[in-house]
Amino acid sequence: MAETNEIALQVKDLKKHFGGIKAVDGCSFDLPKGKISGLIGPNGSGKTTIFNLMTGVLGADSGEVVYRGENIVNLRPYQVFNKGISRTFQITRIYREMTVFENMLSASSMRVPESEAREQAEKLMEFVTLTPLRGEYGGNLSYGQQKLLEFARALMTDPEIILLDEPAAGVNRTLLQNLLAHIHHLQEEEGKTILIIEHDMNVIMNHCEKIFVMDYGVKIAEGLPDEIQNNEYVIEAYFGHK
Amino acid sequence: MSTRDNWRNLGFLAGWVVLLLFVPPTFSIYIRSFFMFLMMYVILSLSWNIISGYTGYISFGHVVFYGIGTYATAILVVDYGWHWIMAVAASGLVGAIFAILIGYPVLRLKGPYFAIAMLGAAEGTRVIAINWVSLTHGADGIAYPNIENSFETYIAMLVLMVIAVIVAYWVGHSRFGIRLNAIREDEIAAESLGVNTTFYKMAALVLSAIFPAMAGGIQGYKTLYIEPESEFFILITIYMKLFAMFGGKGTVIGPVLGAFILYSVQEYTWIRFPTAHLITFGIFIILVARFMPRGLIGFAVDRGWARKGMVH
Ligand SMILES: Nc1ncnc2c1ncn2[C@@H]1O[C@H](COP(=O)(O)OP(=O)(O)OP(=O)(O)O)[C@@H](O)[C@H]1O
Ligand SMILES: [Mg+2]
Repeated sequence: MAETNEIALQVKDLKKHFGGIKAVDGCSFDLPKGKISGLIGPNGSGKTTIFNLMTGVLGADSGEVVYRGENIVNLRPYQVFNKGISRTFQITRIYREMTVFENMLSASSMRVPESEAREQAEKLMEFVTLTPLRGEYGGNLSYGQQKLLEFARALMTDPEIILLDEPAAGVNRTLLQNLLAHIHHLQEEEGKTILIIEHDMNVIMNHCEKIFVMDYGVKIAEGLPDEIQNNEYVIEAYFGHK
Repeated sequence: MSTRDNWRNLGFLAGWVVLLLFVPPTFSIYIRSFFMFLMMYVILSLSWNIISGYTGYISFGHVVFYGIGTYATAILVVDYGWHWIMAVAASGLVGAIFAILIGYPVLRLKGPYFAIAMLGAAEGTRVIAINWVSLTHGADGIAYPNIENSFETYIAMLVLMVIAVIVAYWVGHSRFGIRLNAIREDEIAAESLGVNTTFYKMAALVLSAIFPAMAGGIQGYKTLYIEPESEFFILITIYMKLFAMFGGKGTVIGPVLGAFILYSVQEYTWIRFPTAHLITFGIFIILVARFMPRGLIGFAVDRGWARKGMVH
């Protein structure tokens, strides 16, 4: 993909408070198009809440998420999904009493014929090496396999933006290398925009072009991996309060 | 599910229909009526299964749709002079409209709250049926003109059952059904992955209301007399639920098998042990719940006798 500075999506001054907890407190950033970006920050800094606001799982108190010129905040999740923004969850939400294949098919668009959806499901299961388990219940997979399934399921509609909430957590090294290869494939070959929340600094520093850092619900820094590594606020946020 | 499987299953259904067609000319009116009620419970269990088995919204008040249907048919026939077939068809529509009206509030509730709300809807409707005398004739009930109609009603129930089985089969083998399953498994995930859960839940409730309403209409016409206590009887909800769970909820064949077996068992125990009937039936159910929590089909799947999942 050509080097561009296009923006896929803008988060503008988002706010979400839970009672006294200011989970997201005026956060803004521009997600670069066709790149892999990282969203990092200490536990409880509001990363997952940002994903929930971007995908309509939570309503925002104020602020906007602008995608293709439209504010998508407060749309329902299925509407956001149908616009081409797909996600995975920090704690996997695969359907435990549905087979791997059914998990995949459930996320297909009703606008495409079933035969096409089936083909897409087969292709993606092959992509994440879950084909041998296609008839197995989701709940019987290992945690790492569930993460792969959730990842593949999020790709069923060929989304433009893919939000991954801690894809590496609990995944063994081999599966992780696999997953990262898939993520790069999506970006390089298919021009997808990807945003990854991750605590594993190896993943973030080696695989993301741009990094956003959150603390206490606000963005405290953004930049390239080596800029972030040497940023004093980031060092403070990660190691300072201990 | 391949086209060949579909044809084979359709052939299987056709075989059953032919066998059931032999019942009226072969057996007494008592046996005929037994089979008619059996088919009715197949319809009821399959319907309950759509909202509760596939979608995971366990209804404790499903008799409400059945009761509304018995009343709609009886009022249209007795007070407005409609042909009973037209009245039964219209009852399906009444059931659907009623489902939409109560669906708006109750489908926002989850788990036990939904179950209780449905129970409340059924009980509330029964009380209305007792008190809205000008429409329902109140506690006196409604009597049809006395005629022998066991043949027509038998055929009508058979036709309705065939339609209900075909619809249930479609639900059980389509992306529509898969999406209902997704709602059952994790509503937030389903919604985040493109399922308009409000719409799908409503569609499931409406589908699961239409057939009980029509079956109720046929049953009332067959019985020739309806009154609130028996048409909104909670035991009818319990039966449809138990039959579906015994066979295996969330499957097509489960509720059919469950209704066939358990309705026969309850009829047998009722004849053999009229006084201890509910107790023997109750013990049987406890044993099943203890040793086959996911019903006959779940039991078969766990042992590798049947494939997991509904779409392959
Ligand atoms: N639904 C909710 N209700 C109440 N509080 C919430 C809710 N969701 C998140 N919070 C709170 O908001 C804050 C931010 O949570 P969030 O999950 O966004 O953090 P995070 O950055 O994803 O953390 P982690 O790295 O541990 O996943 C936390 O204090 C959390 O307890
Ligand atoms: Mg989180």
